[in-house]
Amino acid sequence: MIKFIAKRLGSGVMVLFVVSVLTFTLLYTSSGSIAQNILGDQATPEQVAAKEHELGLDQPLFVRYFSWLGDALGGNLGASWFTNEPVANSLATRIPVTMTMVFAAMILIAICAALIGVAAAVKRGWVDRVVQVGAIIGDSIPGYVIGVFLVTILAIQLGLFPATSTISPGVGPEVWVVSMTLPVIALLINGVTGGAQQIRSAVIKQLERDYVRTLRSRGIGEREILFKHVLRSAAPAGLTVLSLQLIGMLGGVVIIEQIFALPGMGPLAVAATGQTDLPVVMGVVMYTVVVVIVVNLLVDIVNGWLNPKVRVS
Amino acid sequence: MKLGPKAAAAALVLSASMALTACGGGNAGAGANSGATTVTALTLGTLRDLTSWDPAQAHVGHALQPYQAAYDSLILRESDGKLSPMLATAWKYNDARTKLTVDLRTDVTFSDGAKFDAEAAKANLDHFKKANGPQMAQLSSVSDVAVVDADTVDINLSAPDPALEFFLSQAAGLMGSPKALGTDAIKTEPVGSGPYVMDKAASVKDSQSVFNAREGYWNKDLQKYKKLTLKILLDPTARTNALVSGQIDATLLDPKNGKQAEGAKMKLETNQVDWSGLLLLDRDGSKNPALANLKVRQAINYAFDRKTILDQVMLGQGTPTSQPFGKDSGAWSEDLENYYSYDPEKAKQLIKESGFEGNISIDVPTLPGAETLISVLKQQLADVGITLNPGAAITNTFTADVAARKYSALFYNLFQGEPTVAIDQIVSTKALYNPFKSTTPDLEQKILAVRNAGDNAGEAAKEVNKYVVEQAWFAPLFRVNQMYYHNDKVNVEPQAQQAVPSIYNYSPAK
Repeated sequence: MIKFIAKRLGSGVMVLFVVSVLTFTLLYTSSGSIAQNILGDQATPEQVAAKEHELGLDQPLFVRYFSWLGDALGGNLGASWFTNEPVANSLATRIPVTMTMVFAAMILIAICAALIGVAAAVKRGWVDRVVQVGAIIGDSIPGYVIGVFLVTILAIQLGLFPATSTISPGVGPEVWVVSMTLPVIALLINGVTGGAQQIRSAVIKQLERDYVRTLRSRGIGEREILFKHVLRSAAPAGLTVLSLQLIGMLGGVVIIEQIFALPGMGPLAVAATGQTDLPVVMGVVMYTVVVVIVVNLLVDIVNGWLNPKVRVS
Repeated sequence: MKLGPKAAAAALVLSASMALTACGGGNAGAGANSGATTVTALTLGTLRDLTSWDPAQAHVGHALQPYQAAYDSLILRESDGKLSPMLATAWKYNDARTKLTVDLRTDVTFSDGAKFDAEAAKANLDHFKKANGPQMAQLSSVSDVAVVDADTVDINLSAPDPALEFFLSQAAGLMGSPKALGTDAIKTEPVGSGPYVMDKAASVKDSQSVFNAREGYWNKDLQKYKKLTLKILLDPTARTNALVSGQIDATLLDPKNGKQAEGAKMKLETNQVDWSGLLLLDRDGSKNPALANLKVRQAINYAFDRKTILDQVMLGQGTPTSQPFGKDSGAWSEDLENYYSYDPEKAKQLIKESGFEGNISIDVPTLPGAETLISVLKQQLADVGITLNPGAAITNTFTADVAARKYSALFYNLFQGEPTVAIDQIVSTKALYNPFKSTTPDLEQKILAVRNAGDNAGEAAKEVNKYVVEQAWFAPLFRVNQMYYHNDKVNVEPQAQQAVPSIYNYSPAK
């Protein structure tokens, strides 16, 4: 198992390296006159040249990359070109907001999707049909539409929740809970419907397998078959779907954070990309890649734990 | 079977495995902050955070307001545009208008304890000139600043600049503590003499900036609240929701979201700051020969049914116009307002006379958010026989592209500033929006007259305005209404030439 994890970690580091090279190259070669953007439309060519020198933009690309990489390995992601705020600081204040929201949504998605999916697969009949129709409806409404709808009803009409986040330094956990409730629900609905659908199929597929028939023929109870055998076999498929949803959610959360004015990664990513604030964009990309790698690694580990065949292969 | 007991909990396996990864989320911080709004607190929704609190990095309009909380300026610009004393008690030009002598207050200190005096004023103006701020051109005519005595400075000019006094009420006039200027600290925490002091612990970059009233501030009339919060709300939907649910007291919206705010009984203050229209840049025809023909440029102007476009696309929020100079600039003229009224027949006639019939094709980049408007313009130009080709969307290399003559024509929204500001933005040969450097000796003379006109710059600029309208340098469509909404707890006075009012224009409603 340790060897398996080490191998996965090794490939994760490779992915991180390759993505950093590609992102760096793409960003630096496609973003036009960065110094001009920083200085605004009235800067003279001399001022632009001075700024380029200050930022090291007059050096060859690979020199800049390795200087960035060296700093990054030492934990220094540089500072924003526009605000001079260290990128690590920006990330440190924002990651908790985004991660709290994403993981709260994921936990709820996992629980709800598993319950609904298994219920639909086992009961079939009208329960299944309701789940199927609900899945189509839930899946086809974008999260931000749900978000705006929730704000209008629950925040503006009924005043139960704040319309935009009230999270600020020093507030208690209760403020986090009320500020996060609506955005988490907005993220949740798509995930639950999509996840339930996948889990339902995986469970149905297992229930139709020969080994289930064999178990039944030996007089083993339905409950035991379901919990001891079927779910364990269906789990990898469900896990994979959920991990993909989590990764997809890192994108969806950008819009949700804007609507609810949550001080998370989304507004930072949007602002930095719009301004071509490259040190910040690199920081955001690296964070995203790390999250993706870690999630995949955890899913692989859990899958390996549930299913020894994965470890061998 | 060794996993047996664990597998019994398999209904939760899917969720639990994900839950294991969830422990990383958390929250941080200490202290207290209440979002409650009383008459002593003002909370405003702003469009974006500042990139730096260094006063030399201040910008115009909505990017000036936050600085006004922390910094005083030499001259105060009142809501109607009148210039009044602030840190400067009086100011006077010499006869040649090349030296402005400024008397300063002697009773003002900065929030770090440093004293405001002539040396401090000079330090700020010198810093502004070399700090590469977005508005550094405001002091481009200043050759040097001389300290006369403890409360007087002379600002020497290389050439007269009628807008200098105005600039001293804007970014160039903001005064920071000389001890803090040029340090890294002032980029994230302002140190000024203004009515409010930033509460750094309660402020979060790109989320909110919190200010408390400064104890012993020299001008109580400008300090109407005990607490000021600027909540950064990028998204117009978020701004609307925050306003109608009472989280913020005032914010800038657009016509569409404004409808929702009106439904919630929010009050509207409008003023006109920008004009919207086509810039026919290539007047010498170096890239597009048709644009060198005056009749073609005039035909473009006659082709637009401005009133209908405004009503349909902008929900009527604006005023149709044929002139690029704004109403508050002094250069605005009633006669030019409808100089090019909608007349497609005349447009076709002019095109026929120009000799370019059936042969006029204009490329414009697409301004994000203006897609509908541009497609209407395309239709109306097609009706008179002109092809408009909207191209790729404007990107963050836009200004560099304009300067590099990438575009022969543009659709854009532009600020309507003071006469010389507007001239150096769209008319003079150093203007960004005159990349092909179009000019004539006649026009140069008119521009020079404005620069030397002193307080009569507006009147003199009418000639420049008339020239560019008659020569159809642009095809202006309308002045756009800025829609600033607020609730009934606050009185708001719009500020001339600013979409967002100055910080002094808010007061608790009685």
